[in-house]
Amino acid sequence: MNINIEALLPYFPYIIEGALWTFALVGGGLGLGFIIGLPIAIGQVYGGRIIKTILDVYVWFFRGVPLLVLLFLFYWGVFPAMGFKLSALVTSMIVLGLRSGAYQSQIFRGAIQSVEEGQMLAARSIGMTKTQAIIHIVLPQALRIAIPGWTNEYAILLKDSAICFALGVMEILTRTRYVAISTGIYFIPYLFAGILFIILTYGGTKIFNIIYEKVQIPGLVKGGM
Amino acid sequence: MSGDVVLRAEDIHKSYGKLQVLKGVTFEIRKGETKVIAGPSGAGKSTLLRCLNLLTMPDKGRVWLEDIELTDPKVDINKMRQKIGFVFQEFNLFHHLTALENVMIGLTKVKKMPKEEALRSAKEALLTVHITEDLWHKYPAQLSGGQKQRVAIARALAMDPVIILYDEPTSALDPQLVGEVLQVMKELARKGVTGLVVTHEIGFALEVADEIMFMYDGKILEKGPPKEVVFNPKHEVTKKFFEKIGRLYGERR
Repeated sequence: MNINIEALLPYFPYIIEGALWTFALVGGGLGLGFIIGLPIAIGQVYGGRIIKTILDVYVWFFRGVPLLVLLFLFYWGVFPAMGFKLSALVTSMIVLGLRSGAYQSQIFRGAIQSVEEGQMLAARSIGMTKTQAIIHIVLPQALRIAIPGWTNEYAILLKDSAICFALGVMEILTRTRYVAISTGIYFIPYLFAGILFIILTYGGTKIFNIIYEKVQIPGLVKGGM
Repeated sequence: MSGDVVLRAEDIHKSYGKLQVLKGVTFEIRKGETKVIAGPSGAGKSTLLRCLNLLTMPDKGRVWLEDIELTDPKVDINKMRQKIGFVFQEFNLFHHLTALENVMIGLTKVKKMPKEEALRSAKEALLTVHITEDLWHKYPAQLSGGQKQRVAIARALAMDPVIILYDEPTSALDPQLVGEVLQVMKELARKGVTGLVVTHEIGFALEVADEIMFMYDGKILEKGPPKEVVFNPKHEVTKKFFEKIGRLYGERR
């Protein structure tokens, strides 16, 4: 293999800069997904029949449709039909968020359900309303339990964000593709992009793991709350 | 008859599907009294207790706390539950809060007490159950069973309840830890804290209870002064039950 690395050197910072877009996609997706996913989980655990059914349909839809289809659907279909003219980046963030919300709701639902029934009973017995009990007693415990699942969601979302190249968002893969096409060198740029994703995946996971350790309740066996 | 009725249950019924757990229970308890509910498992003791603060909604029957009917749908049950302490068999301390925070949270979040005042009341309640300062900042998982249950009693006590309901408070404890919890309960009873206790601890009943109610098959089969019910019961099942309990638990005090 005879590859001129020197010819590629100026392009590496260009690809690395794509990480900022990738972060925007992941940050937006995780954040919006949290805002959507947590209430869905609460509704699925504590809501009435009708609420549960509506939420189930939402989760079922966003988990069932491929991400690429969702991106095209919202970029070319839903948002224009609603009269919104959103950029590829914003559309991608919203779509990642709507979809991640569906997945995150299942993480939070499991976490909420793993908080013992007795915690709710004890909270109600001292006069808390159901809402107070959820906010002050159940969620602080459930969110701690949810961190490992949530870390996983970060890693998945990070990798899924590359699909947004299809809308031309200037994230890592889109830039790598430009470099590959314009230099005619494919192997090194794509390998570089892959390594960049690995670093972001493990770096981020590491940070979440540190947070998880930090917020552990003293004396409790991990995961055995 | 002395003192005012603080809690009155009238004809409480509760079924789960076809299983009739409570078949009409009526009793009352006066200020300062300690009453013990005993009976074989499946008799409906725990269900009855939960029907009294409506953690379980009775199918039929009425409950009064002082002069307010709890079973009246117009009554704000959250407000009323503040006045009914409840101590669980499994403690149910809030895992993510320290001992002190467990006792405080009802005061700050439910009673909306200023933090300073809540802190003072919580510390006082903890000292009452002999949880000393070195344990205040420990989390439930760092406490022994007996300590946990005493914190749970303090959590109920701090709310300044009209009555405390104890649901088999020592059944989940290692034998050597039962004594410290019973001791605290006795002290509270002697101080005049009204209590209704589901327990198999006959020694406790004999020492501090004003009355034992023996439950069998969803009803109160008989009730009376503890010595009477334990040693000279009217019914054969009652006699059999206390003989068996006596062999299992002894009459430890």
